[in-house]
Amino acid sequence: MRLELKGVRYVYAAGTPFEVEALRGVSLVVEPREVLGIVGSTGSGKSTLVQHMNLLLTPTSGSVLVDGVDARSLQKSELRRRVGLVFQFPEAALFAPTVEEDVAFAPRQLGLDEEEVQERVTESLRVLGAGEFARRSPFALSGGEKRRAAIAGVLAMRPEVLVLDEPTAGLDPATREDLLALILGLREAGISVVLVSHDLDEVAEVADRVCVLHEGMLHAVGTPAEVFYKEPVQAPATVRVVSLVKESRPEIGDPVRFEETLDALRTLQGI
Amino acid sequence: MTSRSLGQFYPVASPVHDLDPRAKIVATAVFVVGLFLIDSTVGLLFVAAALVALVAVSRIPAGTFLRLLRPMFFIVALTVLIQVLFSREGATLLEWGILEIHSGGLRLGFFLALRILLLVSSAGLLTATTAPVALADGIEDLLSPLRRVRFPAHEVAMMMTIALRFIPTLGEEAEKIKGAQAARGADFSRGGPLRRARSLVPVLVPLTVGAFRRADELAEAMESRGYRGGEGRTRYRELRFRKGDAFALAATVLVLLVGILL
Repeated sequence: MRLELKGVRYVYAAGTPFEVEALRGVSLVVEPREVLGIVGSTGSGKSTLVQHMNLLLTPTSGSVLVDGVDARSLQKSELRRRVGLVFQFPEAALFAPTVEEDVAFAPRQLGLDEEEVQERVTESLRVLGAGEFARRSPFALSGGEKRRAAIAGVLAMRPEVLVLDEPTAGLDPATREDLLALILGLREAGISVVLVSHDLDEVAEVADRVCVLHEGMLHAVGTPAEVFYKEPVQAPATVRVVSLVKESRPEIGDPVRFEETLDALRTLQGI
Repeated sequence: MTSRSLGQFYPVASPVHDLDPRAKIVATAVFVVGLFLIDSTVGLLFVAAALVALVAVSRIPAGTFLRLLRPMFFIVALTVLIQVLFSREGATLLEWGILEIHSGGLRLGFFLALRILLLVSSAGLLTATTAPVALADGIEDLLSPLRRVRFPAHEVAMMMTIALRFIPTLGEEAEKIKGAQAARGADFSRGGPLRRARSLVPVLVPLTVGAFRRADELAEAMESRGYRGGEGRTRYRELRFRKGDAFALAATVLVLLVGILL
């Protein structure tokens, strides 16, 4: 599906001295089957933005469109199933006695029959490599395991767009790699993924397009190469290295992903 | 984000905000006791006028202040209703089946409603104009004479500070968890009371687990910064009782005396 945000403005605590304008007119599109990276510094409005994608927050002004239809006209439960949102530190919302039960929460809310629920639970846990601790208490797991369980809990709704808010924050490298592989796998399966992250390197690795959010406004949108080569100071490590090489060897091009960059460097004569 | 409600600090600059927290706490306590010594509606109205003036001085917008009081409106309405329906004093104003409304009931209902509103308003004004930390400092200082009988004044005040400090934090956490569960299809407004109570389980369990985790972390953080209790601890913000504070206290007593005599 195609998810579009049109001129979304959002004001927290409107009409009090604590009023904050978190988004000041953001327009962007999540195309079908793409990984859209959203980057920006702390307080730039990333988390507020993603909560508009399933209307957990309704825009103060502006609109959200699902395949061209105003999302407000859709059933809330329907919208939340189609746009799966994984909050930052989603493990904080684990609550059931076992991981299995927790993952089953969302499909049960959808009113599916028990057989279908079990099938989805098994499937989600498998995709996240969480099958082995399905019967354990979520509170007895390691940080990385908890994160896997929590993401499985959203994936079990079989969303068409999966929104991940800082999914790799505070994770060990192995789980982080697994999650990035998962994102690419989901895209192959036809699901769009929105990846919010502070980590430019991981965004460079998996994103088809990147949005830069700055103080509640869209600062730049484009392919990772377009966005990151425009301002190589705030760019992934690969782009910064290539930018240095480029001064004497412009033929290196604009590689962004790690493997791509290695290949480009290898093919350069005299290195 | 967080809804504004009773007891929330409203940070603006005003002469009321500037008063020593001890003066405000004592004045509020005196005010609350004084309210129960006033037995005429005229007296209450006089005190109410003084409180309205004080709210104006505190620079809290009238609408915001009324919104802070909103949680009390149900109790006030109930009080009035009970008085009006069940009091059989004074002239009969209306008779309709078993319902009888008497002038005495109406008067008493109004009197009690006014008293409750004044009570809550005064307490609300205290918390709205005093930062939680200042409030706890004030209470600690006022309780400190009790240390002679081994009352842990500092510890009690510290617990209050921590509790107050973490109310918004837990509120935010609850909002986040509610959001996360709503994203998984939870609906907190559907069904009867039982179903709605059950729908809160996925919020309350993680919230409780989180609160205990936070308590552990806070205890560790405090210990690692050398916290050992009240003994020999100094303050960054020293409390100073100034002329203005004495004046505010005297004015409170005076207003109450006039109210009692009226």
